[in-house]
Amino acid sequence: MDSLGDTVWDVVICGTGLQQSLLALSLSRSGKKILHIDPNEYYGGPDAAFSLQETEAWVGRHAAPSSGLFKSASITKPEGSTGLSFSRAYSLALAPQLIHSRSKLLSQLVSSRAYKQVEFLAVGSFFTFKPAADPEQKPTLARVPSTREDIAFEASLSLKAKRGLMKFLKFVLDYEGEAQRGVWGPHTDSPFNDFLQKEFKMDSDLQKYIITLTLSLDGEMSTKDGLAIIYRHLTSMGFFGPGFAAVYPKWGGISEIAQVACRAGAVGGAVYMLGTGIQAEETSSNDIQLQLTSGDTVKTKLLVRDNDKEEGTFSVSRLVAIVASPLKALFESVVEGAPLPAVSVTAFPAGSLRTDADEPYDYPVSVAVHSSDTGECPSGQSLLYFSTLSTPRSKEALNKALDSFLQAVNDEQMPERLFELYYEQGRGSVASHVDGRVLTLPNVPPSLAFDDAALDPIKTAWEVAMGEDTANTEYMMFPDREAALDDEMYDD
Amino acid sequence: MSHSKAPLVSPESRTSRERTAEQKAVEAEKISKYRELEGEVRAAVARKEYSPELFQLTSKLLRTNPEYYTIWNVRRRSLISGLLSKRSAGSSPSKASPSSSPTATTTTPFAASSSSSSTATPPGPESAKIGRSSSTADVSDDPIPANPDAQTAAAEQKDLEVLRSELGFTIPLLMKSPKCYWIWNHRLWILQQAIERLQVVVSRRIWEEELGLVEKMLNKDKRNFHAWGYRRHVVSQLESPSLDGKSMVEAEFEYTTKMIRQDLSNFSAWHRRSKLIPRLLDERHADDMLRKDFLDRELNFIKEKLNVGPEDYSLWYYHQFLVLNLVSYVGHPTIAPRLTLEERTIYITREIDDIKDLLEDYPDYKLIYEALLDYTLSLCQVEGRQPDSVEKEQLVEWLEQLKRLDPMRDGRWTDLEKDCGLIELSFGKN
Repeated sequence: MDSLGDTVWDVVICGTGLQQSLLALSLSRSGKKILHIDPNEYYGGPDAAFSLQETEAWVGRHAAPSSGLFKSASITKPEGSTGLSFSRAYSLALAPQLIHSRSKLLSQLVSSRAYKQVEFLAVGSFFTFKPAADPEQKPTLARVPSTREDIAFEASLSLKAKRGLMKFLKFVLDYEGEAQRGVWGPHTDSPFNDFLQKEFKMDSDLQKYIITLTLSLDGEMSTKDGLAIIYRHLTSMGFFGPGFAAVYPKWGGISEIAQVACRAGAVGGAVYMLGTGIQAEETSSNDIQLQLTSGDTVKTKLLVRDNDKEEGTFSVSRLVAIVASPLKALFESVVEGAPLPAVSVTAFPAGSLRTDADEPYDYPVSVAVHSSDTGECPSGQSLLYFSTLSTPRSKEALNKALDSFLQAVNDEQMPERLFELYYEQGRGSVASHVDGRVLTLPNVPPSLAFDDAALDPIKTAWEVAMGEDTANTEYMMFPDREAALDDEMYDD
Repeated sequence: MSHSKAPLVSPESRTSRERTAEQKAVEAEKISKYRELEGEVRAAVARKEYSPELFQLTSKLLRTNPEYYTIWNVRRRSLISGLLSKRSAGSSPSKASPSSSPTATTTTPFAASSSSSSTATPPGPESAKIGRSSSTADVSDDPIPANPDAQTAAAEQKDLEVLRSELGFTIPLLMKSPKCYWIWNHRLWILQQAIERLQVVVSRRIWEEELGLVEKMLNKDKRNFHAWGYRRHVVSQLESPSLDGKSMVEAEFEYTTKMIRQDLSNFSAWHRRSKLIPRLLDERHADDMLRKDFLDRELNFIKEKLNVGPEDYSLWYYHQFLVLNLVSYVGHPTIAPRLTLEERTIYITREIDDIKDLLEDYPDYKLIYEALLDYTLSLCQVEGRQPDSVEKEQLVEWLEQLKRLDPMRDGRWTDLEKDCGLIELSFGKN
């Protein structure tokens, strides 16, 4: 058997985050010689999912307020709580993104045949957090209507509001039409809220519903972007079945897709090495020589890697909480015949949370609640993934959000908090860099829902790797493998 | 017996792709096996040998071709001749009723539903009879003895197993051919057998499960007109004395709400809802106040929906049904029959105003203008007067809109103008 150094590799991919893994998937039928390494001892890189022990180790590496992608990580475990199950009963996802049914990511997984190995769960209703009207009362959650039937049956909406929302939904479904462009064209770059108020006479409550559907991090976006996002949500509604607009991969979200993609790469002949990084690089006229931490020296025509430095202009603060309650009320399906959702999203509009000094927190906060159906926690418990834009008060705001949320959802007793992970995640790099034979892929943006724009750089990288072969090959379009080979893939 | 050959329905026939010689050979083999099977069945029938073997043969044949209705008859004969317990000479005439004849395929809820839905069906238990064959109409009048002396418990148990097995046999066939009329017909026959042969508590459970099955069917295809008819039949049986039944009108009303919640455009659900109301109010022993309250709630309910679906004919149908209760109240039951003329006027006026509100946001939906026209003229009719000058101007305006939005019916709008004496006014607009 050849040693690693004997071959001149066509591509060495470093890192098994979603971007690099999808690249491996895209190259898995090309016959190219691919070496795929990752300095971590696990797959997924910045999109990985961890057991409790792995979480603790990861926090140890990212506790400092550094210049890396992840920082300021910490764990809080309440004194004397006994409800926590064993470490591997949990799979805390660094990238718990929901994927809209019409997302290009899904169609690529289908056309490349990788979808068969992923189990997708339904993402259910979206809610808006409503603070308590007075101190005696509890805060509540209001379901966000996103279908005609939702709007008709929502008692809290006046008839006028129903008409307004309905008109807006119809408008968005056809927003690329000429007549519609005439209406929003002049507002393309102005704030979406203003557009909603001016053109559709929406009051602040209605605006909150719409902004919730956009899952925006800072509550502000251009009209053009806002319309595109709502359009994505509305056209995804019911696409795979009644009652839901987005799906979530079981067992850890994006990490699961990364793993499946790497497996496809391996079946296609790529060599995988975990716990292996690059110590040194030397470029020559024909190739790059890489000295790996394993001691091997390899030559490759192309090196693809990700960027672990922080380059973006903002960070996201995250709080992942394990709670000892199944929070059943959040996972009811409203529509008959709809699958029971496993993920439920609630948005806290800017100003709806008050921090300790009784000051309103001016940024939106969101939470994606995962039931045990996601495989990420044991039955009887739930995982709450909070996120908000990083600000000096964001950590406090996230804790406040957790408190308020548990008040709003609990019926009798406050559910017990078993474990809390806090960290900050930078935006990372936005675009690919090419420097000779080294291609650096951008990071997946830390948004609540997967953004298809993250897929474009992968295709570009694929084109670079394929070179002339691009001409006769369709991207991510593969036939089924022979049945025998498929069975091998399940032999783990 | 003369049977015409049923059309051969082969699920594997590839009409849209080229068939290779190999595929043709495989198909020829299948066809020949099918014809052989069919031949065996017919031969046995000709010899009047309704044996368990014949029964097995019908299973094979029907799995391939559930549309072959004659074979269902053969199967039923086999069941009666052998697998189901014999009934003694002393059993009541209703048990030997022709409805259990294997060839009773003509009168079913499917046939009945198409006639009953187009007329104003009188409510109440009589509607239970509409869906059944004439011979079983007698059965509904006298309660069937639960456990006649002639049948032992063992025979009932055997029958139960056979009937359940039959129901199970049809399920995979239904999955493949959910709209096959003959499969549903066979199920109805089995269910009727259950009433005739089993204790009420047992047969009732089977019928309740049938209701569950229809609900699943309706979930898959919410506007399946035939399924609604079938459901009506199942419900009316569950309500009948033969199954120890009680009225299910409240649950049925709730069911229409559930279906509307899933899809506002479900005409069948709105229609069913309207048909249930008279009986619902009767059973609630609703007094005038409750009736008025009910009317208010229903008007609010439909207006919420109209505000998001002004283009939807199902919704306007229901609103019209409610307004008709205010306008036309002589000689037939209405929701609130003792409203005074003044009260009716107030109601209709309010409806007209609420619909005018829709125009604020929906200026181009013709059904809104039609409703305004219709209700304004009805208001005048109720008050026994002609439209006043303000109303006339509005009518002209709405007719102009209708000519614009529905030019195909220009003739109709012009005729209406003439009938209302509005022509002079409309000249000014042109």
